[in-house]
Amino acid sequence: MSLWSIALRNVTRNLRRSVLTGCVVVFGFCAFALAGGFMAQSLEGLRDGTIRSGMGHLQFAPPSMFSEGAAGAPDTGIDGAGEIAAILKADRSVAEILPRIEFVGLVTDGERSVPFLGVGLDPEPESRTMDTPKLVAEGDWLRDRTERAVILGTGLAAALSVRVGGTVTLLATSRDGTLNAVDATVAGLANIPFKELNDRYLATSLDLAAELLDAEGQVSKLVVVLTDTAAAPAALPRLLESLRARGRDDVAGRSWQELAQFYRQVRTLYLGIFGFMGAILVAMVLLAAANTMMMAVAERTREIGTLRAIGTRPRFIRRLFLAEGLVLAIGGCLAGAVLSLVLRFILNHSGIMLPPPPGATQGSMLYVKLYGAAYGAGALAMIVTLAAASWLPARRASLMRIVEALAHV
Amino acid sequence: MDSPGAPIISGKNLGRTYALGETRVHALRSVDITIGVGDFLAIQGPSGSGKTTLINLLGLLDIPDEGEVMLDGRPVAGLDEDRLADLRRDRLGFVFQAFSLIPVLTAAENVAYPMTLKGLAETAVRSRTRDLLERVGLGARAGSRPDLLSGGERQRVAIARALANEPQVVLADEPTANLDSETASGILELMRSLNEEKRVAFVVATHDPRVVAGSRRTLTLRDGRFVNAA
Repeated sequence: MSLWSIALRNVTRNLRRSVLTGCVVVFGFCAFALAGGFMAQSLEGLRDGTIRSGMGHLQFAPPSMFSEGAAGAPDTGIDGAGEIAAILKADRSVAEILPRIEFVGLVTDGERSVPFLGVGLDPEPESRTMDTPKLVAEGDWLRDRTERAVILGTGLAAALSVRVGGTVTLLATSRDGTLNAVDATVAGLANIPFKELNDRYLATSLDLAAELLDAEGQVSKLVVVLTDTAAAPAALPRLLESLRARGRDDVAGRSWQELAQFYRQVRTLYLGIFGFMGAILVAMVLLAAANTMMMAVAERTREIGTLRAIGTRPRFIRRLFLAEGLVLAIGGCLAGAVLSLVLRFILNHSGIMLPPPPGATQGSMLYVKLYGAAYGAGALAMIVTLAAASWLPARRASLMRIVEALAHV
Repeated sequence: MDSPGAPIISGKNLGRTYALGETRVHALRSVDITIGVGDFLAIQGPSGSGKTTLINLLGLLDIPDEGEVMLDGRPVAGLDEDRLADLRRDRLGFVFQAFSLIPVLTAAENVAYPMTLKGLAETAVRSRTRDLLERVGLGARAGSRPDLLSGGERQRVAIARALANEPQVVLADEPTANLDSETASGILELMRSLNEEKRVAFVVATHDPRVVAGSRRTLTLRDGRFVNAA
């Protein structure tokens, strides 16, 4: 006959009221578990998408490249990129090194000229690790780093009215400040998810970009793909230390978390929404549970008087009502966990398509991840809320005057 | 009237006043009383005469406005709630008019509860609970919840519970008031025999003339004062 056994019996004694309060807890728990799972899934998707969209896990470049407004001109690029790539590649956590030349210019089909945001790259490792090659909707991805071809965003291609197999001329300012031009074949059209980028995107081989910019042997940056995303925070200082040990302290490094401003903004927004929703849920559960516990105390006033009269200490009375609140919370959380799993299964098999996020052109299928931390947060929130809701009634019960409680009708 | 044995609990010059709106009601005025070992005292008087108030003060459930209650010759005034709870648990037993059993506990668990509070070993609790329930004639109803027991059976369970920690004094407030006369006689007989067997003092606030007739001493309260000597 422990405190918990008595508490459990008291909870089941007015079953209908306990079930109603339990339902509120179940609802609150489900909201935490499902919304948390959806949020975690969305953020993980955004994180992986950000990394695989071209950012990689780490980037190495001269410090000025990471400063605000750096245009990625080749005169700020890395000399001896091959040596740096070899040092980085020696680390066990590095899966791939992607050299990039970033540049801006004009692309023309002879009739119209449109500004573009260009990237010169090594197509083979890019196709192994990045999503951009998979976005080619028409034609093919670049074959090798010497190919004289370009991939255009479908928006940019539409602005130029060019098709796969057509020829375009790229114009850009070279390293010595003169205007340079090269011709290239359109190898493919990529459907970049962000409209603004899709209207300006141009990718070409590393050698053609270097020729256009008169920057042979130079790259703007080295993008590093790791074997595991979670390894990024530890890998960055280790790799920078390796570079410094070889005398390459002219290179700075950044992790994807530092570079992915959009990801950080979305994460902050999600956490704000989740926190606000959580606060409303907690307030709702708090009011419902407090009402239940106050009614329980009022209905059991004589019983409390009897318990006190036969020698129960006030502290035990207080703990008894707190335990009843916790029994409700734990029962509600267990039922909520089962219901969350069922709802998750139904939602994930419902085939509901979500609209594209801001700036994107493609929606995605609704998927709620089984996110343990959300279940833990839901359980913690419900248990703390029920304990808080029970505290005042429990205190009131423990401080009752015995003779008044015994005389209560 | 037989005189009581060595004093266990006593009240000296006890006074208790309640506020009823703006009116002050004097429930007890300058009452002196002593309960000794093996006593069987009936406190009688009309409704509102102060019987329950006196039982509450002697049972350490309430605090007098005037005078003092003493246990084993020592005043209890100034003891904190926990200490008072421990004294009630260990030294006193209570039987109420409305039976006041804990509805979620079985008869056996109700009897065992004060012993569990005291921290007695489980085997001792089980054994004593069985003995007490058999003594009050309810050995076969040990597993029944109070709502499945008759009024008389509930009061027997309450008496067994009152005796759980072997108290020296059992305070009973109208224990037969909610019972038919045959059941009430059985309860009175039970209290009398326990009083004789175990030398447990019973203080019974009552209207019931049979209880008065069966008691060793009787005190009559009227308007908060004894009208015969304590």
